[in-house]
Amino acid sequence: MSAHAVPANVPQPPAELERIPLVANNRSFGWISNQVAALCEGPAPFWWWVLFIPSACALGFLGFCLSYQISTGVGVWGNMHPVMWAWDIVNFVWWIGIGHAGTLISAILFLLRQRWRTAVNRAAEAMTIFAVMCAGIYPALHVGRMWYDWWLFPIPNSNSIWPQFRSPLMWDVFAVSTYFTVSVLFWYMGLIPDLAVMRDRAKTKLRQFLYGLGALGWTGSNRHWSNYEKAYLILAGLSTPLVLSVHSIVSLDFAVSQLPGWHTTIFPPYFVAGAVFSGFGMVLTLLIPLRSMFKLQDIITMRHIDVMCKVTLATGSIVGYAYTMEFFIAWYSGNPNERFHFMNRAIGPYNWAWLLMVIPNVVVPQVFWFKWCRKTLWFVWIVSIVVNVGMWFERFVIIVIGLHREFLPSSWGYYHPTWVDIGTYIGTFGLFFTCFLLFVRFLPMIAISEVKGVTPQSDPHHPAGGAKVEEKEPDDE
Amino acid sequence: MKTIPPTCPEPETGRKYWRSMDQLAETPEFKQWVEREFPEGASEWSDPVSRRHFVKIMSASFMLAGMGLAGSGCRRPEEKILPFSKMPENYVHGVAQFYATAMPTRCGAIPLVVKSNDGRPTKLEGNPSHPDSNGGTDRWAQASILNLYDPDRAQACTNNGKLVTEEVVADFLTGLSKSAQENGGQGLAFLLERNTSPSRLRLQKALVQKLPQAKWYVHEAIDVDAGRRAASQAFGKPVKPFYQFDAAKVIVSLDCDFIGSEEDAHNNIKGFSKGRSVEENAGALNRLYAVESLMTLTGFNSDHRLRIPCSAVAQVAAGLAAGIGGIPGVPNVGALAGVDPNWITECAKDLAKHKGQSLVVAGYRQPLAVHLLAHAMNAALGNVGKTVLFHEIPDSPEGSLTELASALTAGQVATLIILGANPVYNAAADLNWVEAQKKAKTVVRLGYYEDETSLLCHWHLPMAHYLESWGDALTSDGTLVPVQPLIAPLFGGWTEIQVLARLAGEKAITAYEVVRETFAALAGAENVEERWKKFLFDGFLPGSAAKPAEVKFNEGVLSQAAADLKPSLPSKDKLEVVFQRDYSVDDGRYSNNGWLQEMPDPVTKMVWDNAVLISRKTAQELGFKNMEVVEIKLGGKSIQGPIWVQPGQADYSLGLPLGYGRDTKLRVGRGVGFDAYPLRTTTAQNFAVGATITATGKTYTLACTQDHWSMEGRPIIREANLEQFQSKPDFAKAMKQEEPPVVEPLYANPLKRLEAGQLGTNGSPAHHQWGMSIDLNKCVGCQACMMACQSENNVPIVGKDQVRRGREMHWIRIDRYYAGSPKKTAYGDTFITEEKQQFEQWIDDPQAVTQPMLCQHCEAAPCENVCPVNATVHDQEGLNLMVYNRCVGTRYCSNNCPYKVRRFNYFDYNKRGIGKNLYWGPLRHRPEDEYDLVKMIKNPDVTVRMRGVMEKCTYCIQRIEGAKIAQKVKAGASNDVIVPTDSFTTACAQACPANAIVFGNISDPKSRVSQLKKKSRDYAVLEFLLTKPRTTYLAKVRNPNPAMPDYVDFKEGPWSLQNYETKMGNPFVEEGEKHGAEAAAPKGAE
Repeated sequence: MSAHAVPANVPQPPAELERIPLVANNRSFGWISNQVAALCEGPAPFWWWVLFIPSACALGFLGFCLSYQISTGVGVWGNMHPVMWAWDIVNFVWWIGIGHAGTLISAILFLLRQRWRTAVNRAAEAMTIFAVMCAGIYPALHVGRMWYDWWLFPIPNSNSIWPQFRSPLMWDVFAVSTYFTVSVLFWYMGLIPDLAVMRDRAKTKLRQFLYGLGALGWTGSNRHWSNYEKAYLILAGLSTPLVLSVHSIVSLDFAVSQLPGWHTTIFPPYFVAGAVFSGFGMVLTLLIPLRSMFKLQDIITMRHIDVMCKVTLATGSIVGYAYTMEFFIAWYSGNPNERFHFMNRAIGPYNWAWLLMVIPNVVVPQVFWFKWCRKTLWFVWIVSIVVNVGMWFERFVIIVIGLHREFLPSSWGYYHPTWVDIGTYIGTFGLFFTCFLLFVRFLPMIAISEVKGVTPQSDPHHPAGGAKVEEKEPDDE
Repeated sequence: MKTIPPTCPEPETGRKYWRSMDQLAETPEFKQWVEREFPEGASEWSDPVSRRHFVKIMSASFMLAGMGLAGSGCRRPEEKILPFSKMPENYVHGVAQFYATAMPTRCGAIPLVVKSNDGRPTKLEGNPSHPDSNGGTDRWAQASILNLYDPDRAQACTNNGKLVTEEVVADFLTGLSKSAQENGGQGLAFLLERNTSPSRLRLQKALVQKLPQAKWYVHEAIDVDAGRRAASQAFGKPVKPFYQFDAAKVIVSLDCDFIGSEEDAHNNIKGFSKGRSVEENAGALNRLYAVESLMTLTGFNSDHRLRIPCSAVAQVAAGLAAGIGGIPGVPNVGALAGVDPNWITECAKDLAKHKGQSLVVAGYRQPLAVHLLAHAMNAALGNVGKTVLFHEIPDSPEGSLTELASALTAGQVATLIILGANPVYNAAADLNWVEAQKKAKTVVRLGYYEDETSLLCHWHLPMAHYLESWGDALTSDGTLVPVQPLIAPLFGGWTEIQVLARLAGEKAITAYEVVRETFAALAGAENVEERWKKFLFDGFLPGSAAKPAEVKFNEGVLSQAAADLKPSLPSKDKLEVVFQRDYSVDDGRYSNNGWLQEMPDPVTKMVWDNAVLISRKTAQELGFKNMEVVEIKLGGKSIQGPIWVQPGQADYSLGLPLGYGRDTKLRVGRGVGFDAYPLRTTTAQNFAVGATITATGKTYTLACTQDHWSMEGRPIIREANLEQFQSKPDFAKAMKQEEPPVVEPLYANPLKRLEAGQLGTNGSPAHHQWGMSIDLNKCVGCQACMMACQSENNVPIVGKDQVRRGREMHWIRIDRYYAGSPKKTAYGDTFITEEKQQFEQWIDDPQAVTQPMLCQHCEAAPCENVCPVNATVHDQEGLNLMVYNRCVGTRYCSNNCPYKVRRFNYFDYNKRGIGKNLYWGPLRHRPEDEYDLVKMIKNPDVTVRMRGVMEKCTYCIQRIEGAKIAQKVKAGASNDVIVPTDSFTTACAQACPANAIVFGNISDPKSRVSQLKKKSRDYAVLEFLLTKPRTTYLAKVRNPNPAMPDYVDFKEGPWSLQNYETKMGNPFVEEGEKHGAEAAAPKGAE
């Protein structure tokens, strides 16, 4: 075992070719543990309460709106004949889309060995789970008789009536529930080593017990790590097709029907791209403020922001391409109903919604070609919000414009939302932020063990491999 | 509990005050009163265990309430049916009974067969065995059954607002009769509504003899009697015209909406549609010229329409009469500004060409002179006895409301008996009726509602519904029909026959006896009992129709009347107002009928409102747009109402539908729309020139069921001119859009399997396959089908606010499209918002088409494969079934339905009623009295849908199953289970006066529907989607006159066809030519 020392004659690469480390300022393992775990220890910062209380109020309002809707009828919403789906399904698809980035980051980027994902994957996965929870409310409660929702599940019953397997709504049930289950499992799996860290740092019996319960007896032994890595890889492999399937199947809700503007084969890839687009938008919206509030600039570095901006640019461009293709196909097909639909989108009574879709989704992300735009945090943050607004309107355009003028002009109409529609939507934000704030408060929002794995010193060949470096507080940016 | 207050120590000094003498005397009663918290009897239970009992009851009811609250949203309530302890003979539970009766109208009656379920009348149908009926009815008849169960009906007799028993009223009437007979009826006046009851006439005659001094008056807010008065004058004896529209080849309507708002419209439709039928006329369709100011259903169905103000119609009539020639005394009115003189000349020529086969009709709104001109033209054209018959009728000597008002004002009337009429609401404004009525010492009113007039009456008697009363009437052809009760009066109502009989001093006589006696007098004395029974069974007296009278036109009358023809044309500052009998609420008599309030106006498609109808040009010149509230001033009176730009409305002419704006207790009709009566005067009952209009700055939201007016060039309704149809009979098929290649379905179409012999029960070769055919050439858009469907299928009403959100529940709707000259439309117009179409030029002179749209029962139904729970499925008979119990309400089926015929129960409309209650959910319930009554009208064979489920037309599956069960019972062991050909039909088809809707078994080659589906005009809407609908349509064929000046505009075909052509290509060009000629044009037709 004498030849294990630093290789003798390997020349150091020139500085410009050196990889920029994923954790800035050459932080030590201890610093990382302290910095991340400390967020869940000690009293909650003031800003946390400032955000939490309105979120909890909004969650309460969600409860009120849904109780009102359940007790009184779907009519309290604004949807109508012919626009029988409106904000309910718009919000469902929007939230599901947001729920896309987390699993994409954690599974696909894991398989593709994109090591930068470690800094953001935990929060993104949490975002996914909470977004899917928000999304799940809509299909469950937008129906007329929600107490019979269980009929959508293939449960053997005395009437021997099964769900209708030809219906895309049926597929939705499977796609979304599978996606949610696997996402939760994946997220929890990754949390185990970090929960053990929390357990070991716990200063009260209760915390020790609860974190210990979650840590499932993790000791950090080699055997644990070996099993963990295999299981994580398997789950990543399982999740990857789900990332593609869930939004493809959601898109089939529209593509399988025969409405002009809905019945089109480009929907599955286009919806997936759109979902990734909006998901990254939401990750940026959440993480930019969090990294500075939690002083995590060394872990979520400007490089992470830069990469995510580039993903946003790429997916935004795919979405823009899809919009263009829809118009092209409508023209090229020669189908007068398709042509009418797309003309009506662009210059009909809802063209304001169409503009609110095209400008934020296609035009605005193009600024990310410029480095300044990717580097300026406030600017990125605003663009990320614009992207989410744009993606909301994409769903609005598809659903509402698709339905409001169809085959028979006698049944054309114009849809207006009610306060309950708006209140329910605000309420789902309450649910989302309440869950997310509780998450950042009580669970490590950065994957501690994984981030440690991407620090230079975790490389056994690193000169300072495993060595302790003097700790120094980084300067605030 | 008794609480004893602490005794108040008396102050030692100072003055003593006391509250009462009791206190001063310190009586024990006073002491007790002071000590008690509550008065005696209120604060204690006499039952010794009351508290315990109370707590027990309360806890039980809380528990039940809790269970109810928890369960009420999720489960339907359980209700026990109480069986007979002794079964009546020949009574089968659940099997409906049918009785013949009739609904009296102003100038006739509609013969009916009424369905009764366990003693409750639930559905009306026309009586097809009546000699002058095809079983069709009108929308008012269909909806009138709802009035029977109206919780706002007058429910008790009152005297000065206090409830009195029927006996008291009877005694009062007897007393009145006695005192009147003493002075010969001096100071007694009767105010009647118009009807045709021979019994009433008989009683009236009897009363005239007994009370010679009593005065008789008739009041109808909408006086449809002008035709009779004119005919009597023109022919010198009391006659009334009876039109034979089916015999007329050329019809000219002078402001006569004979299809929509004239009397006996359903019979007119029957005749008109017969003359319009391509099959029955072997290519010689009738032709309709309409001259009118308002857009009416008659205008919708006309081949040529002249849009002029009401006040100019007289001039057109004179012009036509002059053009026909041979009519002395026709005034020379000269050319009419803005009207192509050729229009009148050519129209007159066409009339002259069809001597004995033409018909000129004048509307009730027009003055006597126009009616006389119409009669003169008919006489000159030799139409009398052919297309128009005259029946002798007894002269009606009653005075008018004006005369009654002056008699009242002069103090000549001490006792006024109002039988039905509501003059306080609808008398002409200048009569000052309220003041006049107050002059009478006693006013007795028989009224269906406690309405405006009841408030000013001393005695009020609740009137019985015609389904609760004995009576009789004459249909328009003069046939005697019985009005027999289906149910005992729900609220002890009186009929006018009862009241008159009582006043005639016939104390013990019942209405039944009166009617029977009248029958005996009319039918002859022999074998009365048997014939009376048969009369009631049949619902009419055979052979009692009036014989056409020999008449000769009295030419002298024309020149007298010609003096009235003073042209007074409206202009921008001197607008014309036209009072319109409303298509929904009539003159206001149906304003508390929710079905009619929610029935879209057939022309404007507006519900729960009326509006100031105005033409685009006038609105633009005056600077108004839709829904702006304006003030209309006429002769010192003013009203306010919202503007509605109506395509096809004459310029400077405002349409004011009557019957709205009621300020009464009526919970449905109250405050709906605005009241146009205050503008009406005795001299201008129907229209007046000289109104001004000013903005109020307010806006008002109107609810409309069809916002978009244009068909956008889509081949939804296919039409052609007669010559085009003759040159290419299958033009409708050539208009379909390109279809994708057909893929053989996985599961064969049952119809195909049937043909291949794979289907059939128990060895029977055929099976039922249901289908429908709708002839767009016959459909006039009258909407009787909508009301019939609502009645048959328990379709709820939802209220204005919900309709505004597009949530109306009608299973069948009449789509109405306007087509304008394509030259006047621009391509980009398609994409504008619906609010902007009111400014488009093409709506000035549009053509209109109507199309009944209901579930098409697609064989490849797009709704079925998207339902996640199998709630909508197909059956072997080709029906697209809706399983309410299985529906969870995802609404995906509606989104995927290209015909948009599915309706969703957004709220519990049945349980909560309409209005704000809907938004209160379980916190508010429908008032008990309302719910109890409304429940009685439900068809027990049709599920009442709860909230959250989708519903749609079922082709009246309850009738299908009923017919199948009946046939199975009849078949016994013989296996002959095929329902006989055309032995039953759906509610819509049954009610259709035009016979436009035909339903039946399409696997039976003998059935009418399968024969119609073989016609060349047969097409399916949106067939390119390959939905294979079971409902197909027969294309419309117009019959314009090539010589007419406006023919130029649609030489190539109707405007909708030209509109289609600009998008899809010419369907009349053969495939080969088209490729050569217009290779660049998009391939639309094949």
